Amino acid sequence: MTALFAVCAVVLVVSALAVVTSRHPVHSVVALIVNFAALAVLFLTLSAEFLAMMQIIIYAGAILVLFLFVIALLTVGSDPVERTENKLPEQAGQAVIAGLVALGLIGWGIQADWAPSAARPPADLGSIGTFGVQLLTTHVFAFEATAFVLLVAIVGVVMMAGRKEIKR
Amino acid sequence: MPAIPLTDYLALSAAMFVIGVIGFLVRRNPLTMLMSIELMWNAGNLVFAAFARSFGDMAGQIFVFIVITVAAAEAAIALAIVVMVFRRRVDVDVDDISVLRG
Amino acid sequence: MDAFVATWAPAILFLPLAGCLAISFVGPRLPRSASAVLGCASVFLAFVLTALVAAHVWHLAPYDQSIDVALGTWAHIGALNIGFGLWIDPLSLVWMLVITGVGFLIHLYSVGYMGHDKNYRTFFAHMNLFVFAMLLLVMSDNFVWLLVGWGGVGLASYLLIGFYFDRVTAVLAARKALIMNVIGDVGIMIAIFLMFQHVRDVSFAGVFARTGAFGTSALDWIGIWLLVGAVAKSAQLPLHTWLPDAMEGPTPVSALIHAATMVTAGVYLVARCHPIYDHAPLAAQSVAVVGAASALFAATIGCVQYDIKRVLAYSTMSQIGYMIMAVGMGAYTAGAFHFLTHAFFKALLFMAAGIVIHNLGGEQDIRKMGGLVKTMPFAFWTFAIGTVAIAGVPPFSGFFSKDAIIDKAAALGHPWLFAAAVAAAGLTAFYMFRLLFVAFFGAYRGDAAVHVERVATMEIPVAILAALAVVGGWLVLPGDDVFGNLLGGAFSDVLHAQSLAEFNWTLALGTLMIVAAGILSAYLLYVLAPQMRENAKARLHGLRELLLHAYYLDDVYHVLFEAPAYAIAGACARFFEPDAIAGLPRGLSAAAGSFGALSRAWETGYLRRYGLTIAIGAALALYFAFTTLHAGGAQAH
Repeated sequence: MTALFAVCAVVLVVSALAVVTSRHPVHSVVALIVNFAALAVLFLTLSAEFLAMMQIIIYAGAILVLFLFVIALLTVGSDPVERTENKLPEQAGQAVIAGLVALGLIGWGIQADWAPSAARPPADLGSIGTFGVQLLTTHVFAFEATAFVLLVAIVGVVMMAGRKEIKR
Repeated sequence: MPAIPLTDYLALSAAMFVIGVIGFLVRRNPLTMLMSIELMWNAGNLVFAAFARSFGDMAGQIFVFIVITVAAAEAAIALAIVVMVFRRRVDVDVDDISVLRG
Repeated sequence: MDAFVATWAPAILFLPLAGCLAISFVGPRLPRSASAVLGCASVFLAFVLTALVAAHVWHLAPYDQSIDVALGTWAHIGALNIGFGLWIDPLSLVWMLVITGVGFLIHLYSVGYMGHDKNYRTFFAHMNLFVFAMLLLVMSDNFVWLLVGWGGVGLASYLLIGFYFDRVTAVLAARKALIMNVIGDVGIMIAIFLMFQHVRDVSFAGVFARTGAFGTSALDWIGIWLLVGAVAKSAQLPLHTWLPDAMEGPTPVSALIHAATMVTAGVYLVARCHPIYDHAPLAAQSVAVVGAASALFAATIGCVQYDIKRVLAYSTMSQIGYMIMAVGMGAYTAGAFHFLTHAFFKALLFMAAGIVIHNLGGEQDIRKMGGLVKTMPFAFWTFAIGTVAIAGVPPFSGFFSKDAIIDKAAALGHPWLFAAAVAAAGLTAFYMFRLLFVAFFGAYRGDAAVHVERVATMEIPVAILAALAVVGGWLVLPGDDVFGNLLGGAFSDVLHAQSLAEFNWTLALGTLMIVAAGILSAYLLYVLAPQMRENAKARLHGLRELLLHAYYLDDVYHVLFEAPAYAIAGACARFFEPDAIAGLPRGLSAAAGSFGALSRAWETGYLRRYGLTIAIGAALALYFAFTTLHAGGAQAH
């Protein structure tokens, strides 16, 4: 188990770095797919089987494909490399500092004795059955609210991007 | 199998989150920025799932599910906006959008 | 509590107020005469009710004659309990009868006198307001509401003096009156504070029952602060300069407010607070001295003034001085009696003078009058009656009341006060007869056409007052002190005997001789031998100037108070206001602007910059979250 975790961890971090540093957006998307795959494996180690499947199907399968389509739409015919002059050159340094500070804080915060309240989690934790029951009874409000969010998103996208041309 | 201690998952997610933050702030391509945001979300997801297993409570996993759904909705809208804003431009650079200046 | 009084007394108080409100809100939609009817009717009804209540009260036994009609609590804040109620006893009844009775007569007179004025309705509204405020003053059962009434009459006085508001002199006079009155208000307020400090009570019943708890020194201070109020309201030395200027108001106003009622508020105050003054010898002494000094002071000035209303104003100040002196000595009944007779003959004098002024088209300078005996006989005869009354010639009313005071001064052992009173009596006779002779006798010296108008509503009240000026004194006859008996119920527990029944014939004759001397000198100088007058004028030129300018006190006050106040105000307007006060908002707006310019630098419009800001904010939030979590947290670090 530990070996599996270590491998997944390395893949996760490396692919994340690849996403952030790739020049070509398509390379970033591919790296992100790898990242999601590693994350799905990690979900499996956390006995969240349903979530792992969802991660692959929805995230990697739907969202990233959407990304690819948009990349294709936007950068057709041009070299999609950031070639224009950087208007905020100092941003990079500041961002790194901010990020490291955040990392330090989070790191300091998570150093505690997290005694797990359940030494042995229930066997069916994360199974589809449990998930379904919980989603439709205890957390049914969140479930319905999410449905509403999706509706709003659909309406919004159709309104915005469905227009033919922006009149000048 | 011996359980992986919780702290490891937390540290891992912290690293992924910070990478996402720096990526968002440094890159100028809007699509890459959006992908950095996805990284940040997934870092959060990992934390939720880890705690769900640690406390034996399903609520964490339910929330991951919700986060994924909302992320999907958000990605759709954000991409629609990006398409609308950058449709006619040659170079896709977020720094060109400074109409709110002042 | 007496049911009859309890029912009708509030009506007396609120009828004039109802009249004022009716005229103010409904009057403009009704014809002019409706306002006059409303104004006169409300006061007349109040008078009728007062007469009924008075008759009722005077049939009760003397110890039952002080009735406290409590109408509720006004404010209850911790230890401070201010009620609202009415105190009906013979003292307040005398004042109420005069206010409503003489007030009604003057209202009637105003119907004719103010008939051509464009602010007719406003006049009656203001007059009703005054009657209400004055009634509130004399009917309250606690000091706070007395002070409210006190301020109310000050307000009414301001409104009515400045009635001809397009005249600068009138407006300035109104302002002067108000400012001096306010000085008095402060004095009374301080007295109230002292009272509360010692006995935690501001009602008459509470304070008067516990005079023993104060200690003489505290009582003296309270008495002196109340005196400050009385001096300001009653135009005594040194806060008197507003009264002559107050003659800018219409003549009915001068008659009602500045002769018969408002200026006597100080007398009422001292008489009402007799439990305080009886036990505060220093304060009482000060009151008496102020009164005597004012009486003499004003009498000297009256001898040279040539505006008919100014002479009457100074004579009012002088007669009030008599009353103040009387109540200061402890002769409360004598002071109240002189108040009664003075109300009659002073209002009479003002109203008769008003007829003359009205017929001469507004002329008030006696040097431009003369020869009016034949042309205005009614005015002449009524004015003459008033003059004889005020001079103190028997059997007219002034004689009995002035003599009562002079008697008491001698009986209670105040030689200087006695001398001042007698001297003032002589001077009063002199200058009042001078006024009569110069204004009415001889040939007509004026330029204005004499247009004699005989208006019934003006003449009837004057005639009534003339009759009262003749017979009013007969309430106190030698051996039969009806007035003293009537007031006995209010002064049951006083230091000195109040009865006016004993008559000192020697003193009376002596005073009469001095009065006769005054009348004869006036006759000599102004009718028989004008040449003597011219010689005297030339020889005593300096003295004459001094008296003409009222001992230059107005100028002294101007230098001491007015000029510095104007200077400070000017300096503030020129320097302090534009820079310090106006500069503050300007500075604030400039600061806001520069802060905005500073913060605008952050709004670059770049998305990534916004993202950085969010990241920094998140880092800070994390920091705080973790510190507080760890501070109160249960996890071991």
